[in-house]
Amino acid sequence: MGKSFKLIVILTIISLLSGGVLASAYSFTAPKMQEVALQNQQKSIFKVLPGIKSYREFENDKNMIIFEGIDDNGNVSGLAYIAEGSGFQGKISLMIGLDLNSKQINGYKVLEHQETPGLGANIDGETFKQQFSGKSWEDPFKVKDDIIAITGATISSKAITDLMKKSVTEVIKIYGGEK
Amino acid sequence: MRAWKELIKGFWYENPTFRMLMGMCPTLAVTNAAVNGLAMGLATAFVLICSNIIVSLVKKLIPDEIRIPGYIIIIATFVTIADLVLAAYFPDIHKVLGLFIPLIVVNCIILGRAEGFASKNNVFYSAMDGIGMGIGFTWALTLLGIIREIMGMGSIFGIPVMGVGFTKWVIFILPPGAFITLGILLWIINSLSKNKSVESHCH
Repeated sequence: MGKSFKLIVILTIISLLSGGVLASAYSFTAPKMQEVALQNQQKSIFKVLPGIKSYREFENDKNMIIFEGIDDNGNVSGLAYIAEGSGFQGKISLMIGLDLNSKQINGYKVLEHQETPGLGANIDGETFKQQFSGKSWEDPFKVKDDIIAITGATISSKAITDLMKKSVTEVIKIYGGEK
Repeated sequence: MRAWKELIKGFWYENPTFRMLMGMCPTLAVTNAAVNGLAMGLATAFVLICSNIIVSLVKKLIPDEIRIPGYIIIIATFVTIADLVLAAYFPDIHKVLGLFIPLIVVNCIILGRAEGFASKNNVFYSAMDGIGMGIGFTWALTLLGIIREIMGMGSIFGIPVMGVGFTKWVIFILPPGAFITLGILLWIINSLSKNKSVESHCH
């Protein structure tokens, strides 16, 4: 009894010390981590909406994260939103930019993916991305038709194309419905 | 010059990857590019050095019966610190290594050195052992990463080296490439060394 009590006390002390060290390490790094997350978001919004001066979040009840891009004259010129879907091996998360004046897709930025390195990971490459820049919302968005798939990564290419078409329609509905 | 001996043994004669075959999970999983291998090696080295020092400091305070849970808590603490620091200051590397950082906790090298070396030696030698093993692990992972990146992507540390006509052997950056590369490296290193096996404390 006395022996196991001693062991319990020692393990408790070790755990408490470890907890204390981790708490201070966390409070030291947490603000920096938030800053990084915010910076990433900012960078990707400005990337997919070139030419905007600032942005604000567009509140909606559909759980979509949508940002309005505001140009030099204070008008809303574009929308940026986060779209999530399934890829070949896991979740794909994109920041997509729309130009409201020309009704075109500006482009997208991959926020998160688990596609095969060297093949599916090329969804983040310029060759594939460029196909979507300046593409009209009304286009059919069909792989092998108006989108050329990445060699060896048909599923990843199709995932992006379908996700793009589906989410654009949805966002336009949400945004158009409230304006 | 015992300190020197403890330091350099991890580089080659008791290299954790090539001679003791410890910590195979990160070795095979994250080495698809040179920079990933290097980052994983450095993160593991950091945890290894810190845990060796602390374990060696507290070895007399922790009773034998609970030494393994005690060591694991110490190791997990440093792994979490490494995870937080990488997430805050090196978000790109953290994104790539992701899941494998928490898995350093169960890396055989770290517990193996804590149990087999740091719990029996003083702080100075334990630190030397940690630094040596850490460097040994880091160069091994970086070498694997370099070979797989050249074959699979035609580049080293992201800089193209193979010219435009090079056909990429994609298999080298996929999981089978890790086994193929490690197997060939072990064959080369074993034939270079006279003593074929080194006794290790952890398998």
